Amino acid sequence: MPSGGLDLASATDQEVVVLARHGQQAAYRELVRRYERPIFALVFRMVRDRELAEDLAQETFVKALNAIESYRPEFKFSSWIFKIANNAAIDHLRRRELDTLSLDGSPHAETPEAIEATALQIGDRQETALEEVEARELGGEIEAAIARLRPEYRSCILLRHVEGRPYEEIADILGLPLGTVKTYIHRARNELRELLAHLKE
Amino acid sequence: MTGRSLTHLSLDDLDAWLAGQLGPTGHAHLDGCAECRELANTERILVNHLAALQVLAPAPGFADRVMASVAIPDPFALRSMESARRRLFTSRRSVAIAAMLALAVAASMAASVVWSLGHRQMIAELGSWISGSAADWAWIGLRGAVSSVMEQPWYGGLRGLAGSPAQIAVASAVASLTYLSGVLALRKLMTLPTGPVSHASA
Repeated sequence: MPSGGLDLASATDQEVVVLARHGQQAAYRELVRRYERPIFALVFRMVRDRELAEDLAQETFVKALNAIESYRPEFKFSSWIFKIANNAAIDHLRRRELDTLSLDGSPHAETPEAIEATALQIGDRQETALEEVEARELGGEIEAAIARLRPEYRSCILLRHVEGRPYEEIADILGLPLGTVKTYIHRARNELRELLAHLKE
Repeated sequence: MTGRSLTHLSLDDLDAWLAGQLGPTGHAHLDGCAECRELANTERILVNHLAALQVLAPAPGFADRVMASVAIPDPFALRSMESARRRLFTSRRSVAIAAMLALAVAASMAASVVWSLGHRQMIAELGSWISGSAADWAWIGLRGAVSSVMEQPWYGGLRGLAGSPAQIAVASAVASLTYLSGVLALRKLMTLPTGPVSHASA
């Protein structure tokens, strides 16, 4: 099925999924393009290891795209793929506990090359050098505080305030009642406020 | 938000305030309650910082690696299946015919299995007769082919070529050269053109 003149970049997720279901490679690539950053960011902030986050993000996409036929269009595609990514991250955290955050590379990196290779790649935001250093320091404090939250709180706070997902969608992604999601987010914010209280001074 | 001026803002109220949807009673409470005002401001700062966290990106080539691991269905096969499905389900009559055909195939397969189970001895005998006959026929065929070759007028000359080692070597070299020239000619014929094709830009 040709795209019928449909501009993939401006098409809705549902339209792109329909084209993917008809075997259009460009539609698959468009779905990856749209979600590679948010999915990677969510998984990275959950597991705190760049290499592992890439593997889990790749696993998420491969799982989702290979099962595109089983996706039900009455739900949002973003909810579906975030759910797969969150499950992959939570499954991993259940198997293995990580408690150190490194913005400069994987905690498992032992050589300078490995540290550089696993260092975070920051997206393309335009900032001056000073702003970048300040943002990096503050961002590092916030990232560290997020990393100390319980995994369920972490998922909720990341989806709500970093990815900007509405409460209902978060409940759908995490398979939790709406009230529980709200409670988790409020508790997470309280904990973050306490963890970041020293920054006020 | 009614009658809330004496009680502190709830968590839902704070969310409403962050989203700019807090009612007038809530605002009135905020104006008069320093504790809630400080909490609300801290929440806003925290939420703003969270929203401004660095955009993280996977390493370059991530999309390519994903695409290499995804099994994309063949559009031609999908179209063929879709068109066959559409043709099949256009009317009740075509559905009925397809169902009857499927039933006939299933029934004949079942009958075949039942018959085979009931005539195992006969099938075994038939199998051994066929294998014995096949060997006989193969031997007869081979003998016939060899006799036919030996009766050809060029057979004497061919046999003469194998008369000495030097003649065998010359004949092998000529045959190998002919084979190699044939392969090279085929490769040249099958190579795609690399230069611009005059009518391609039209």
